[in-house]
This record gives sequence, C-alpha cells and structure tokens, in this order.
Amino acid sequence: MVKRVIHLILLVVWCCTATCSAAAVENDYYRLISVATSASPSHSRSKNWKPAPEGLALEVGGLAVLDNRRVAVAIRKGEVWFLDGVYDDPPKNVTFHRFAQALHEPLGLLKVGDVLYTAQRSEVTALRDTDHDGQADEYETVARGWGLTGGYHEYAFGPVLDRQGNLWITLNIGMGLPKLQLGRTIRDAPFGYVQARWRGWGMKVTPGGDLVPVCAGMRSPCGIGMNHAGDMFYTDQQGNWVATNSLHHMRDGAFFHHAEALASMNLEGSRITGVKQVPDGLPYPQALQQFEQLRPPAVWFPYKKTGQSVTDIMLDESEGKFGPFAGQLFIGEFSQSGMLRVFLEKVAGEYQGACFPFRSRFASAVLRLAQGTDGSVFAGLTNRGWSSLGTSDYGLQRLVWTGRTPFEIKEMRALSDGFELVFTKPAEIRSAADPASYEMRSHTYRYHSTYGSDEIQKQELNIDHVTVSGDGHRVRLRVQGLREFFVHELIAGGVRSRDGDELLHTSAWYTLNHIPK
Amino acid sequence: MAAQISESRELLQGQNRGKHSGAAFAEDTTSSSGTFEGQPPFVAAFDRFARPGEVDAVSAGRLLLNELSCTACHATDDAGLIPKRGPRLDGAGNRLNHDWIARFLSNPQQAKHGSTMPAMLNGLPAEMQEQTVRSLVAFLGSLTEPFPVIKGTGRRPVPGEFWRQGDVANGRLLYHRIGCVACHAPDENYETVVTKPTPLDDLLSQLDPQELREAGLLSATRPVESVPLGDPGKKYSRQSLTHFLLDPHRVRPGGRMPDFQLSVMEAADIAAWLLREQSPDFRFSSNADIRVPSIVNQGRQLFSELRCSSCHTVDSLDSPLPATALSDLDLKSRRQCIDSHGRGVPLFLLDGLQLAAIRAAIEDSRKEHVAAKASDQLHLTMLTMNCLACHERDKYGGVGRNRKAYFETYKNVDIGDEGRLPPPLTGVGHKLKSSWMERVLHGKGSLRSHLSIRMPVFVGAQINALPALLAATDNDGPEPTEQDVFGDRTDLAEAGRLLLDVGCVQCHSLRGETLPGVVGTDLEGVAERVHPQWFREFLLNPGRLKPRTRMPSFFPQGRSQNLAVLDGNPDRQIAAMWMYLKGIGNHTLPPKLQQARSKQFELKPADRPLLLRTFMDRVGTYAIAVGFPQGIHVAYDAEQIRPALAWRGQFLDAQGTWFNRFAPPANPLGADLIDLPDGVSLAFLKSLDDAWPLQDSEIGNAEYRFLGYRLDSGGIPVFRYHIGQIEVEDRIVPGHQELIRSLHIKDHAPTKRVSPLWFRSHQGTTLELVGKKSCRNREGLMVTLDDRLAAQSVLRDSEQGMDWIVPLSFDRELTLEVRYQW
Repeated sequence: MVKRVIHLILLVVWCCTATCSAAAVENDYYRLISVATSASPSHSRSKNWKPAPEGLALEVGGLAVLDNRRVAVAIRKGEVWFLDGVYDDPPKNVTFHRFAQALHEPLGLLKVGDVLYTAQRSEVTALRDTDHDGQADEYETVARGWGLTGGYHEYAFGPVLDRQGNLWITLNIGMGLPKLQLGRTIRDAPFGYVQARWRGWGMKVTPGGDLVPVCAGMRSPCGIGMNHAGDMFYTDQQGNWVATNSLHHMRDGAFFHHAEALASMNLEGSRITGVKQVPDGLPYPQALQQFEQLRPPAVWFPYKKTGQSVTDIMLDESEGKFGPFAGQLFIGEFSQSGMLRVFLEKVAGEYQGACFPFRSRFASAVLRLAQGTDGSVFAGLTNRGWSSLGTSDYGLQRLVWTGRTPFEIKEMRALSDGFELVFTKPAEIRSAADPASYEMRSHTYRYHSTYGSDEIQKQELNIDHVTVSGDGHRVRLRVQGLREFFVHELIAGGVRSRDGDELLHTSAWYTLNHIPK
Repeated sequence: MAAQISESRELLQGQNRGKHSGAAFAEDTTSSSGTFEGQPPFVAAFDRFARPGEVDAVSAGRLLLNELSCTACHATDDAGLIPKRGPRLDGAGNRLNHDWIARFLSNPQQAKHGSTMPAMLNGLPAEMQEQTVRSLVAFLGSLTEPFPVIKGTGRRPVPGEFWRQGDVANGRLLYHRIGCVACHAPDENYETVVTKPTPLDDLLSQLDPQELREAGLLSATRPVESVPLGDPGKKYSRQSLTHFLLDPHRVRPGGRMPDFQLSVMEAADIAAWLLREQSPDFRFSSNADIRVPSIVNQGRQLFSELRCSSCHTVDSLDSPLPATALSDLDLKSRRQCIDSHGRGVPLFLLDGLQLAAIRAAIEDSRKEHVAAKASDQLHLTMLTMNCLACHERDKYGGVGRNRKAYFETYKNVDIGDEGRLPPPLTGVGHKLKSSWMERVLHGKGSLRSHLSIRMPVFVGAQINALPALLAATDNDGPEPTEQDVFGDRTDLAEAGRLLLDVGCVQCHSLRGETLPGVVGTDLEGVAERVHPQWFREFLLNPGRLKPRTRMPSFFPQGRSQNLAVLDGNPDRQIAAMWMYLKGIGNHTLPPKLQQARSKQFELKPADRPLLLRTFMDRVGTYAIAVGFPQGIHVAYDAEQIRPALAWRGQFLDAQGTWFNRFAPPANPLGADLIDLPDGVSLAFLKSLDDAWPLQDSEIGNAEYRFLGYRLDSGGIPVFRYHIGQIEVEDRIVPGHQELIRSLHIKDHAPTKRVSPLWFRSHQGTTLELVGKKSCRNREGLMVTLDDRLAAQSVLRDSEQGMDWIVPLSFDRELTLEVRYQW
C-alpha cells in the first residue's frame, strides 16, 4: 500500500457539464424517427454491393411531400414510390405503393398539382397518372439537351420550382468519362476541356419549355433550394477546383469554381463569355481579382468541421413548427450523415452568411430533405458509391422538433467592425459579455485544379469588445482584423444561457465576402 | 456471464495467484521496498496455459522473458526472445493524464493491477521516491506531440473533433461485438444475443471433472482471465484514447494490443464507453513542473539512469548500455530483478510459479542449443501474441468458454460456431498459402463478413515470421503445386461449375452472389488462399482436417455422390471444382446462383412489357429498353429517336443500372441481336437528292423534339415526338418472330408543310430488295412495308451506303406499319 499520496503541484482544469455526447443532447431538441432504414451485408462502395434482401431498396434520390399522410420518394434504382403512414410515431404501419418505374437514376422529385417532376440522367420528366389507376402512364420529356457520355458522375439534380414557374436543375461535371463515349463531348472546347454539353451548369426550364443555361462552374451540385426571398441556391462538394463544400446563389452569368464547365462557354445560349485564362493555384481572394466572372460562394462549409459532402437545401417554411429557425436554410450532409443550418444576409447586394452544425447521427448519408405538413423534416438517405457514418446504407427518417428550444446561435450578422450574434434564448449576461467567452480566427482557400484545399492564410483574431443587449438575446462582437473573402470561424465556448446551458453547438463559420460599410 | 468470469477468477487466484508484497516474497531483503505490493504481473497466456501446467516451465519462462521485456536489458542472442517493451513515450505529455503518470510511477501495480511494468523506485528512500516521481512526471509531461490529423475523404468520414462525439451506447455495443472482450473483461450487465451454449460447451457442462480430464477437455472448461484495463478514466482523455484506439501500434510497437482498423467514429464510440464515468470535457491535469527546465532536465537524467529507455522509446534519448547478458545472470545473487531488490533494480512482483518458470528458462538458455525448432518458436509466438485468445490450435486455446456468447453472426443467422467464432488454426500452415496468411495478418484478408468479431492487424518481428513458421510446422516438405495435385486440367472448369451447384452453393457465396438467406464464406479467390493439396484433402474428408465442421463430406469413403459428372471420378471432380474456382472471374456462375441472381435482377416480362432506362453499348446513353412477354425485345434510342436494337430470348439484367455506382451499360441477355436502321426515321426532303439529315448526337437537331412516352392500357410504350409541326407516335410490338412498328403521324397544319415528309424504312452499306415489299441489309435485317408504301419506295445511294425511302403523302393523319425480321 502506498502510505503517502504523492502531492504534486497540479494545475487541474476540470470543465464539467452533465452531458454525455453531443448527439444525445441534440436528440433532446430534435428527435430522429426511423421510418425505414436498412443495413446491407456488404459495404456500399463494394462492386458486389446489394441492398438488404428484405424490403424496398429505399435509396432516396428524390423526396416530395404529398399530404399529411404520405410522401413520394424517388429511389436510385429508378422508381417512384408513395409511402403512406409516414407521420405515425412510431411509424409501424407504413405502406408502400409504386407509382412509376424505369427512370434513370432520378435525383430529385417535385410535386406540382397532380404532376410529379424528376430529373433523370438525360432529361426532366413529368410523371402523370392520366387514367387514375395509381400508376404513372405518361412519362413526358419536359426538357433535355445536355450531354451525357455515360460517365457515372454525370448526374442531373432537381428540379426545383421557383416563384416564376421555372424548373431549376443542376448538372454534375463529368469525371473519368468512359473512353468509348468521348465522341459525345464538345468539339474544340475552350482550354481543351473534355466535357459533354452544359456539364457543370445550372439550368432552368421556363414555363414555355425552353432549357436555359443560367450559371456555371459546378462540380457536384447535389442540392438545389430556394430561400424565403425566392432566390435560388445550390450546394457544391469539395473536389477539383472546389476548395471545400459551398453554398451558392444561382444567378445569371455567375461562375462558381469548376473550370471544366467552361467547355460549354462558346455554345449557343451560354451566359459566360470571354474567359481568357483560369488562374490555378491562387488564394481565393486573388483569384477573384484575376477571374472576372468568378463569384465567391455565399457560404463556405469548412471541411470535416461542418461536413464532407453537403447535399440538399431546405427552407424552413413551418413558421415555428420546426423550432426557432423559421425562414432559415437547412443543408443535408452525406459523409457525416447529418444536417447543417445556414443564416444568410445580403451585404453589398450579394448573399453571404454563416453555417452552423445542427443535427448528427442520421442512419446514413442525408441526400434529400423535405418539410412535412406538420413542420417536421423528412430526410432521404443513401450512401451508395461513397461512404457515410451511420448504421444503414439507405432509408427514410423524420426529424421532429420536441418543442424544447436549444440554446443556439440563431443568426450571425456581419457588422462594419465585427459580428452580431442573435441567440435562440437569452444568454446569461456576464458570460456573454466576456470577450474570453469567444475565440475567432479566419482563413481562406486556394483556388486550384487539385482536389480540395487546405485552410490557408490562417489568422487568430482579437475580439476586444463585446456588447450584450439588455434582454440577453443579442451580442455585438468587435473584432480586429476582419478580412474580405475569408471564412471567420467563431467558437463561443464560454457563453451560457440564463439557465446555465452551454451552446448546443458552440461553433459558427461566417463567409465574409463583404464587410458592411 | 461476466459474473461467472470474475467468480472463476477469484477461484483461480485462490489457488494459484495472490497478492504478494515484494517484501513478503523476497528471500532476504534489507531494502526498504516493503511499500511495493500488488498482484503479480498479468500475462494472459501464462495464466491460461502455464498455471494449469499445460506449458512446460522453460516455455512458460521464455514467455515471461518476452512479456516482462527481460531481454530489453539482459541481452541474448536467442532470436526467439523478443522483448515486448513498453509504450513509446514521445507524446506522453498530452496523451496521458499527468496525475495518473505520477500515480503509476509511484507504484505501477497499485495504479494498474497486473501491469507488467516493474516498480522502478524500489529501494529508494520514500522522500527520494517522491522527488524522483516529480522529476519524471515533469520530463514525461514535457514530451508532447500533436495528435495526428486524420484525413477525411469520401471513403473515410471524419467529423470535426470526432473524439468529442463518441456515443457510449454504441461504444458498448462495439466493445462487446468486435472482439475487445476476447481479451478484456465484458460488462456484467451486457446482454448477449446468443444465449444458447455452443454444442461443445453444452457437452462440457454435462461431464464431471474426472470425465473431462480423461477426455482431455479440462483446458476447455477453464475460465480465461481478462487482460486488465486499469482505470482508463483516470489515464486518458477522450481525444487521447480515441487516437490510441485508432492506431495502437504507434504507441505500443510491441503489438500486443492489435489494430482493429476502426473508423474514427467507432474509435470515438469505444473511447466514450471506456471513459463513460468521465465528463466529455474532462481535461488532463497538466503538471506545472513541465515548464521548469531544471526539473524536466532532472527527470530526463533520471529516465536514463533508471534505464527507462530500455523499454520505452523516447526519440531524443539513446538506449542505455545493456545490463548483464541473460545467460551470465547469477541466479543466486541478492541483487536481481526477479526476486530480490536493491536500489535501481526493477521490482517485478513475481509469484512462485512465475519465478520458477523464469529461472528454468534462464538455466535453459545456458545449454548448448541446436537451432530452435520451428514448432517451438511458433508455440512461443502464439502464446506471446495471444493468438490463442481467439483461435484454437491443436486443442489449445480458442475463445474462452464463457466468452463465446459475445461472438455473434451477422443478423444472428445460425451457422454454428464456424459462423461466429474465429477459425481454428490447427493445420493452418498446411491450409493457407503464406501470401494469404500475410494478408490476413496485415488486415487485408477479411473474408468472413458474417462474423461480428473482426480480425485485427498485428505487427512486429514475431508476426512477420508467423506465416513461415506455420508453413514449416504444419508441412513435412514443400507444398505440392497445383500441377502436382491436379495436373493441367483447366478444361474441367465447366464440370466444376456444375459440381459446385450441387452442394457448395447451399452454404457459400460466389462473387457476392448467394442463394436466398445463405450466409457463408465467399469462394471467390479460394485458389489464391489455400493450397491445392489441402483443398483436395478437405473436400475428400472435411472432418479430418477440421473437427466439428459443418462442411459435409461429398465424398464419403472417397466416393463421389454425383455420378453424372466426370463419371463420378473424385479426383477429376475435385480438380474440376478447383479449376472452376481458380478462374471464377471468367466463368458464369453455377446454375442455382444464376437463377438466384436473375430472380433479383433479371427483368422477366410476364404479362406486360417491362422497361429499363439505361446506358447500352449499341444504343447509347438515352436507351429505353422494352422487354415483351413474347420474348422479343427492343431498345429505343431516345436521343436519335428510333428503335435501335432488337433481340430474342432473355431480356436484361438490371443490377448494374439499379445498384452499381459506376453505372455500367446494361447489355441484352438474350440472343439474335440485330441493329435496327440508324438515324431518324422521318425527315422532310425537298428532292430525292437531299441527304438524309444527321442527328448530331452532341447537339441534337432542333427540329426534332422527343416528348417521352405514354403507356397504353397493356403497358406498351408509345414514344412521342415532334418534327417541326408534325406529331409522331411510334409504337413497336412483337409479332410472330418479328417486330411490328406502327408510326402514327399527325399534321395539324398541313398547308404549312413546305417539303414532303419521307420515311427511311431501311439503311445500310448495301441493301438488297427481296420480293416487292421487303429489303434486307448485309447484317440480315429484313424490313417489310405494306403494298401501298412499297410501291412508292425508292432505293438510293447515300453517303453511308444505301437508303430505302418512301414519300408519305397525307393530309392530316397517317398510320404506317413496318415489320422487322431477322
């Protein structure tokens, strides 16, 4: 027995909270209900991958809410199913009904009246049940005209309807094109790029049925969505030319990042002209100066910290039924099987804003999000071809607000000398007013043809003054050394709510393209 | 379950082990080491096999020499003795709680019962011990290195600060399922899915000790002690334990803790479970002395003086000079590590059995030795690396009796012990090729996806030598080659395919294809894994090579049950199966598996047509394949707007289109493939000299607008398109050995038609008219028009060869019919 305890001069730091894991706590506010999830015996990257032997291979590529009982789901094998009873809790009696089949990897689903629209690899299709027997009997080609060499990355996503009646789609850039099909690429394309027509472009189909190119430079534009003002956005995924995941405002003539989309620059209808040179290897702020058509993303999602492959965009239109974030955008996350949240504002006429972690531990990669009639959110899952966290390869889950308000940074606004934070609940004034409760640093990325970018030109920032509103809801941080076109990372680890809670998610990342005057 | 284990542990300790204070055990002590006491060092294989006398004293002693790292200081030229050594201590400063380091150094056995770390402060006066610990903690605490940054990729999800996001419940599940509890103690309250004892355990429970002894089964009934975990909650942070679990070999190059190749979240979850008592934001106690250079330097000096670096690598320090060589040790000396003490002599709290074993091994090391036998070296390796914790070999070891319930099968399919327990290693050197064994040991040979336990990665010199040792021990000479065993019989592969269809596919998958509900090892690649001679012997009599296997004998008394194939000749039949499996990538699957696959993926039109929109090599990227119940099928090319390919027999396999990430083209399963006339079928021609318009696949022709299709009441698709103001409905159905195509053409504004509309009924390099109504190309496609159209048809030369075209005279509406035969 040791008779004497060895006493050392110890500097013991105990940061104690009564919580266990972040996910368990998230579940107190936003509860996940599995409508249908299934595990398959083999890894979804394996060449011999198969869905689970039982049940429907619910690899959700498209998701549309039909009413307060049903959702329609487009699955990647090429079918549309109606699922009834999906709002039940627990959903014990879900019934499945096949509405359409023989679609080519549909990656979107939109309900307009009695018609369901989906983007297949080669076209936008309207599905109609004209004889009302519960099965689509009309597969109308609404729009086509983009190139398709047969490369598996040549996905088409959408459509999403805007307030003018346009259907928006996005077209994945081609990667690793099959050799035999290279005849289908654009001849004499600028810069010698080898791509099929309109690959890497955002397009809209007008109510008159014309397919109109709008903007370009997309890599894997897996998510399309509209914000509450009616503007259209898409998400992109890290890779060649794309430093990290990002959210972009789709607008006429904007160029985002993937240079090979310039293969279509000289086609009739192109909205991008006159690009003479593409900088390769410059820090993003300099690249913007050299590449006139290049537009910065509204939000960068720093890699790993927020996710690895962002997907769908969903506007919370529930007016509070989904919690305190009404009017904000929610973003799906593939690799990490989660959901993010985005706050946007317009500064100098352009969108910019912040992203926040929101919910982790879905059963599989979140590819599609759709808000139910009760405000809850359906998440369509599939991880085939890549990898994700979670227990399943595919499925459908529903995220329900429990009615408890989490202590979160609801909004993060740029100010001329710093940022304003708005909390979901009043903060405890002393901790909120203490500059030591916050840390901030900033970084940018390299714009280059290689895969992803490290965070570069990192700088720690000094928060020298904090003002808290009397009600504890708002905080103004005065920050030294703001830089335009840099991501500003905030960690508000020291802030406590009036009830003594830590923030459910302490971090936020603001993409500061413009400092307000 | 766990209660049983701990109960048995007490029993065992009552018999053989006990708390020993160093003072009590020393024969003659004058030192002040009476403060050090605890349990003797725990060495799993020693406790399991040496204590009950199943290993001779010399082997047991050699095991201890390795595990206690004796030869790290006492050099030996015996290549079989490789000291385990302790953890690398670079990075200890941010990996280990400084408070815990202090407690551990002060009295290792107290901080972690069963630790193989000797008490190094033995013999020092109490106040000097205190000072020494303080300095050492300052030095070790100063050895920080950043945790590795784990790269996140599409293949590897890595959430930010993943170590903070571990889930206790999931970690508990993983800990009990993937194999941690083969060595470490399970949670007493964990409920296993498997509740039935294994057949062997069932048998054991029915025998009394006398019977067990006589049957040689006593060893199998003995409980297996758990490798102690110490108190990880006091030692690690979530971050440091998660990183340790992700790469244990980085810290512990001795490799006793294997690498389970965990994903970052699995590691975070298991760490959360192991640290469940700890707050997630637990921070290390960090010692202020680390910033005092004089104390740190003193610690560094003491670290060398105390020979710590003999076992613990610190990059900035050299290894100390060796101590007395192993064979020169004076076992009667009063200053020695194993049972006497003095200042600067490490104190191992060995018990009597351990002491005797070590002495026996040291005595033995002085004898003249011929080269060590492979089997002895193998035995020592299996004990040292504790392979026997999971694997049985020659009736030794295997998963401990009361731990088997933790080993589960994927979805709990009952396929016996083979379906949930790690495979036995008896005769494995005869079975497996060394190249495959190496892959397995390096974590690249995972075959049994139905096991919840995983084969982790082991490293080190012993492991590298293992495949050769197994081969040398289990074989009398070099393994016969395939040529020796089977001769050159690749011609038998087809017979092998049929033979596999009889029994093998009932339990095994091939290339991932299984019969419904079957869970078993995939036989793809078996010829790269096993020796041909073993394959032959195993098929002839599975039970002889693998007792209690579920693999039945298909050759009882050496006679084949299947006389229909290869005259029932067992030698040729086994050779045939080998040859088939060897080349399986190039062969079709056995019929039953083909059927099973086709049931899942083959589209078989029954009462209505079936459609598949896909890529097809001869159709393009806009293919819409239509399969008809009549067994004649067509693929429509929606890009060129034409029927493009026809065939008979089976329709399509949809697996690639439905479920393959790489979206390979779908190709017809049937026969008699024929390309239908190229290009658009209808065009406006001003004159007969006008060239037929080309559909540019890249741009498309703006005049042509594809509108999709409608399914009629019978499910037959009617393709629709516009050419200018003309509206066309294109419908194809099977007739008798032919396809009948009808084009329904409407013109809502015939007065606006500038040029006449023509139908190109056939096209080819050369065309030949057959009778008055038909025309055939070189490929054998015959197109037949009705009398009226045929009468107006024109055969003309074109750039591509020849066209057979017909002007269509109509006002508002026209239906034309054309037949395709081949």
